[in-house]
This record gives sequence, structure tokens and C-alpha cells, in this order.
Amino acid sequence: MKKAIVLALTATTALAVSAFSTYAADFKIGLSNGWVGSEWRTQMIEEAQAAAAAWKDKGVNVEVVVQSANVDVPGQIAQVRNFMSQGVDAIIINPNSPTAFDPIFKQAKDAGILVIATDSEVSSKDATYVGIDQKAWGAAGAKWLAETLGGKGNVVAINGVAGHPANEMRVAGYKEVFGQYPDIKIVNEVNANWDQAQGQQAMQNLLATYPDITGVWVQDGMAAGAWKSIIDANKQSSIAATGEIRKDFIDLWKKDKLNSGASVNPPGVMASALNVAVPMLQGKELKEPATAGQYGNAMYLPIPFIDNKSLDEAVKAVDGKPGYYSFTSQLSIEDAEKLFK
Amino acid sequence: MSNAATQTNTGGLGRLIRRYPFLPALIILVLLLALNGIFEPRSLSFRSMTGLISTYLALMMLSVAQTYVVFSGDIDLSAGSIVSLVNVSVIVLMQKWGGDGFSVIAACLVGALIGLACGLINGIVVAGLRLQAIVATFATSIFFTGLALTVLPVAGTPAPEAYWTTYGGRFLGIPFVFYAVAAVAILLAILMRMRLTTQMLAVGDDQQAAFQSGLPVTAIRIKGYVFCGLFAALAALCITGDTASGDPLVGGKMTLYSVAAVVLGGSALAGGFGTVTGSLIGALIIGLINALVFFVGTPSEWQNFVQGLAILLALMTGILVSRGARA
Repeated sequence: MKKAIVLALTATTALAVSAFSTYAADFKIGLSNGWVGSEWRTQMIEEAQAAAAAWKDKGVNVEVVVQSANVDVPGQIAQVRNFMSQGVDAIIINPNSPTAFDPIFKQAKDAGILVIATDSEVSSKDATYVGIDQKAWGAAGAKWLAETLGGKGNVVAINGVAGHPANEMRVAGYKEVFGQYPDIKIVNEVNANWDQAQGQQAMQNLLATYPDITGVWVQDGMAAGAWKSIIDANKQSSIAATGEIRKDFIDLWKKDKLNSGASVNPPGVMASALNVAVPMLQGKELKEPATAGQYGNAMYLPIPFIDNKSLDEAVKAVDGKPGYYSFTSQLSIEDAEKLFK
Repeated sequence: MSNAATQTNTGGLGRLIRRYPFLPALIILVLLLALNGIFEPRSLSFRSMTGLISTYLALMMLSVAQTYVVFSGDIDLSAGSIVSLVNVSVIVLMQKWGGDGFSVIAACLVGALIGLACGLINGIVVAGLRLQAIVATFATSIFFTGLALTVLPVAGTPAPEAYWTTYGGRFLGIPFVFYAVAAVAILLAILMRMRLTTQMLAVGDDQQAAFQSGLPVTAIRIKGYVFCGLFAALAALCITGDTASGDPLVGGKMTLYSVAAVVLGGSALAGGFGTVTGSLIGALIIGLINALVFFVGTPSEWQNFVQGLAILLALMTGILVSRGARA
């Protein structure tokens, strides 16, 4: 019995690992992330926290509270409810589902809370999406590949998770571009679930099956895996393939002089969303209302692109960072304020 | 644990816990509510409580589902997949049939039937064919998820607004989910008084003895799985109300949470001992732990860790209290 009490006390202490700060904030913003397990997400949250701190120089106190855990959709709805209980002014969410948050976002809006989704679009008309257009992201890589190949050749595509909304939009993007080049033939498309090892395996199989491919369209971390197979097969001089944005790959790209180009989905999207949220909370109005995208609620951010010409800048930008650090970009406070009246 | 101390103060408690196995869970629940209230007073407001129930009602239902198989010493690792399958089926049917009041009710009934059918399949595979429950239901879980993916390959497809505004709405000033809780409580009270519950517990306690005393052991175990399927379907209807959309993977992660809720509620995984009330409380404990981890201000990179630790501690506390009481 005594032990039980001691345990219960330990539990309480463990829960209270950090005392929460109670200083008066101008705005309190909740950040919700429903999937942990890539450095990209960690960097996304860290950049958003830094962006909030940067508002202090402008005389605006922005306090952020974070909920980040591997949760299912109901678990992330609970995260939103917790923010509502705490009385935040705005919620910025990287959502686990495009449609499942319609009811809870409506409740949040009714409670006077600003809701912004980032990284993945949501159907709710009570939320605004601030992030990149995944279709344009896919198209940018395809355009680079088509131009690099001189408009002709056999191409394979390695995709992420079938049925995932972002993946489907990216696929639609490259299909549209390749469709404009009649001499480019997509000989096969496979799914490697955004997993580096699966990407490597898929590339090995594709190289064995189609010895005459000259172009590879591949996304995110899978690109590092695919390139490893290309290098192992000693085909890096005859194949052009899209790349990715982590320091490890950018360094390899530079060292081995790979023929690559990478669309950037910057982890800074959440920070950008925060820099848009603050003027909104101040009651400012957008010059152009956010009405883009399939749900008519999106504000698209520019998508940086790294190719062989801009590679040196990218190398410099990630210099001194750990290998898993992603090349990033953010909408600065100044640029964000320019979007408002 | 000092034996002298346990013996002096647990004589009465021991009897209480034997009578109400969910008592330790109830104490943990009250403790968690108090802690949540201390760290975020608004988390105890009527609106927050309604929110807690409408989000965790699905897990509560799924924990009840799991309890009915755990009673007879079985387990259902496909419970979450049944939730997914029913969720996408109901969503697709409601859309196909036009989304008016009648089609919504019809789709819900079909959803319940699908749940029953899944439960029956599990029951036949486990009790009828005598395959190991843990492996057989793991296999059927993959099967049900596969079916769900063919019904609706991509998460999406909105539910008719009438459906989720009802689930999130109020009647006579009282939120709908409270009526749902009351209805389930009455249903469970009736079930608890039925002979079947006692028979399930008897099978879980000692299958051989139950068989020798003339109980139809196989039929009882199959009935347990059928109940499990039915309540998993009800869980799916709750999820559909809270998320207003279909997702072929929505329930997958819920399975092990439902098992945890059953154990947190004081039921024995080996069978023969437990209550559905405890499982309902267990599901709420999981929800309150997740909220508390945030309200105390745990840094984001520690949230998963602390959540896991807290659930572990809640489990240990519950078990130590009941063991101390039973000693």
C-alpha cells in the first residue's frame, strides 16, 4: 500500500516535469502535431517555437503550447479539445486527416479560436490552410526532370503511401507535367511508403527490370535510398533523379556531383503559419483572402527548389547542422505582414 | 509492501474490491480529474467534460467490446479493424443513399450488422476452429482492414451534416452524448444481470470446470465475440459522429488502448474476473492521462514518454491496490 502511494506520487512528479510558465501573453497559440517519428516534424515544431519568440522584438508576446505525440485521429481531436479548454487564441495543426476535423474545427471557431492547418490541407470551411501546394511540389520536380532529360526518356516514379492525400496530390502534379512531354514515358510507378529502405529496395528492383531508364521521380527521404541503389549500380552518370533536402543527402549530392534537383517542402511551414496567424489575431485583414486549393481555404507559400546551380547555397545553409537537419525556409514576419492590409 | 499495514487496514477494502473490482480504477479516475482540475481548472467545465465524453465514447464502447471476450479468457486484436470497417461502410452507404434521416438510420443498422458478422467470424475461428485467439484475431484484423481499404481506399468522404450535428448537438439542453452514455449504461446493466455474463466469467475462470458442469463453452465464447463485434460497431458510429468522415485506418491504433482500458478497469486478462463498468472507467483514465500530460506542461518531445509512463503507473497502482486488498 505504501509503495502504491509512493508510486502515485512519483507519477505526479513525473507528470509535472516542467513547471508551466504563467506570464501574461498577448496571444496564446496551440501547436498540434499528431505524428512523431521523423526529424522533419521535430524541426517543424522547433522552428515554430523560435518564430513565436521572434515576435517579442516586435513588441508582441506570443506564447506557444505544444501537443505532439503519436495519436490516432480521435487522439488529435482530443488535442484540439485540450487547447480549447486551455483557452488558446489560435490553433495551428498538422492534421492526421483531411476531413475528420470538420466538427471540432467548427466548435473551435464558435469558441472564437482561429484555426490554421499546415503541411496537409483540410476540408473544414472553419479553418485556413497555410502551407505549400503539394501538387505544385510534385510538378516542380517533374519539370526539372523533364527539362534535364531534354524532354525524352524512360522514367520511373517512386511514390509514398497510396491513398495519402499529400501523395495523391504530388502524383497528380508529376502526371500533369510528364503529360506535356510526349517523348517521356513513365514505364513504372511503385509505392515505397516514404521509407528510405523501401525506396532503396524499390530502386534496385526497377534498375534490374528496366536497364534503360534515364530518369527517376522520387519523393522525400526515399530519394536518399533510391540514389544509394543508383550509385551501387554505378549508374549515377546516366541517370537523373530527384533528390531530397536533408543535410546528409545535400552533402552527398555535392561530393558525388549527382545530377539531381529537389523540391523543398520546408519544415518552416508551421513557423510561416504562425507568422500569418499573429497578424490575423491582431485583427488585420488579408489583402487577398485565402481561397486557393480544392477546399477553397488555402494560402499557398512559395516552394523553394534546389538544383545543381543553387546547390552551393543549400550546402552553405545547412552547414554545421546535424545530418538529419532539413533545408528550410520560412515566411518572415515582414513578408507575412506584407500580405495584410 | 509491509504486510502488517496491509492486513490492518484492508479487511473491509478487500471485501469491497471483491464486490466492486473497478474500485481502484474509480479512485484513479477521481484522482486524475482532481489533478486535471488543479492544472487547468477549465478542463472540468461542462463544455470540456462534454468534449471528453464525445471524443472518448468510442474508446469506451470498444473497451466494453473487448471486455466481453476477455471475460471468457479470450482477446480480440481485430476490434479496432472492425471499427474501421464499420466506419467506412456506414460513411459510404450514407453517401450512396442520399444522406437523409432514413438513410442515416438504415446505414447505422447495416453497420451494426457488419459488426455482428465480424464478431461471428472471429467467434467461429477462435472458439469453433479452436485457433489461438491472439493470433487468429490478429489475422482477421488484417483481413478486416483489407476489406475497409476496398470499401474506401482514401480517408475522406464527409458524413451528412445531420449525422454529426446530432452527435455533437444538444436536446433539451443536454448534449446528445450524455443520452448515449445513459442508454449504454442501461443496456449494460441489463446485460450484467443476464445469465450469459456469469457463464462467460465461469468459462474464463476455468474452462474445463465450466464444460464439466454442462455449460456450452464453445457457444458462450462465440457469443462473447458477437457482443464484441456489436459494441465495436457502436464505437464506429461514435467515431463517425466525432470525425464526420470515413478513414479505413481510423480504428487500428485503438485496439491495444481498448485492451489497456480493460486491464486498467480491474478485469483479469486471463478471464473469469472483471466488470464492464471498470472498462468504461479505464477508457476515461486513458483520456484523462493524455489531457493531464499536456496540462502540466510536459515539453513536446517528452509527451509520448510521459504518457506511456503514466499509463504504466496507473496500471501498477490499480494492481497493487487490489492485490494488497486481496492479500
